[in-house]
Order: sequence, then structure tokens, then C-alpha cells
Amino acid sequence: MSDPIFVYALSTCPWCRKAKKYFEDKGVVFEAVDVDLLPDDESDRLAAEAFELSGSRAYPVVKIGGEVVVGFLPERFDQLLEAGA
Amino acid sequence: MGHEARKGALRDFYTPLVTAMGYKFTPDDELADFLLEQEAVLEETKGAPYCPCQVRTRERDHDMTIVCPCIPFHRAHFDAMRRCWCGLFVHQDVTDPDSLPQIAASELGIEE
Repeated sequence: MSDPIFVYALSTCPWCRKAKKYFEDKGVVFEAVDVDLLPDDESDRLAAEAFELSGSRAYPVVKIGGEVVVGFLPERFDQLLEAGA
Repeated sequence: MGHEARKGALRDFYTPLVTAMGYKFTPDDELADFLLEQEAVLEETKGAPYCPCQVRTRERDHDMTIVCPCIPFHRAHFDAMRRCWCGLFVHQDVTDPDSLPQIAASELGIEE
């Protein structure tokens, strides 16, 4: 896996929590940030970064290697992990 | 007003609106309760019951499109998924909300 898995999340979003739990349960190394809990400047920067990657304001946004997944889609996560994206 | 009372008030407010749009509350009561709790907190802290699963930009034109129920602003996308993004509402004929995955608008060829 070339790049670390990164989860752009919102603290209020149950699907973001599920995405983080999915990677925890898989035992894979990942990073996650609740964008809404950051100070405004940092929150804006991360939200803009997620939007640049996904074209969406909907969360979670999950970066797996070179792929970006919008939403909690465990089957898609499985495929990308198996492919070593 | 505590969150329990506010959650009830939001539910009462939303029900006729989403019914008229062909939607209903998800039959997943635990999910609905969690999402309504988040909306009550967002209303209290950020000024409106924003969608818990869409990010605010603090730009009014955008943020007004994610105030619950935000179905009219994302109609094509949500109709294609038969649910709203956070899953608080599903089409009225849905009995198994777990069968409805989130699908990005871009994957459906829908411009947000």
C-alpha cells in the first residue's frame, strides 16, 4: 500500500464512525480526522482537501492508496485492501 | 428544552414534509434516534439542524442546502439511492434500509 489510509470524518456522522471501526477491526494502519472538531482554519483546510479529492461535501471521504471512496462502503474497502491500492 | 423534547419536535416537524416528498423516517430506530440527537446538538451549537453527514462551509448558499430535511436540494441523488445521505429518511416503500448503500452523486452521474 503506497499511501496511508486516511478517513475524513465528521464527529456527528454514524457512517464515519462505521468507516473508522471497519479499519480498526481489519487491523490496518489508518489515520482519521473529525473535520468538524478542528479549529475553523484547519477545518476549512481539511474540508477543502476532501472536496478536492472527492468533489463532494458528503462524508465519510476515504482515501485508500490512490483511490477515493465517498461513503461507508465496506465491500469497496475490502476490494481496495485486497488489491493493495 | 432538552434534547429528547427537541428530537421529538424535529420528528413532528419533519414527518409531514418528508411524507409529501415520498419519504419516511428510516425503520432503523436506533439510527434515527442517533441522527436526531446529532441534529439537535447541531441546532443548539451551530444554529440549524444540519445534516450530520455533510460538512458545513459556513457559506450560507451552501449550508442552507444541508439543513434537514435537505431532500429538495439533492432530489435526483437521493431518489436514485432511495434514501437521503445520512439515512434518516428512506423512500416510503423501503423496509430494509441496510440494503441501501451510500452512493456518491458522481458515481450516479449526478452533479451536486
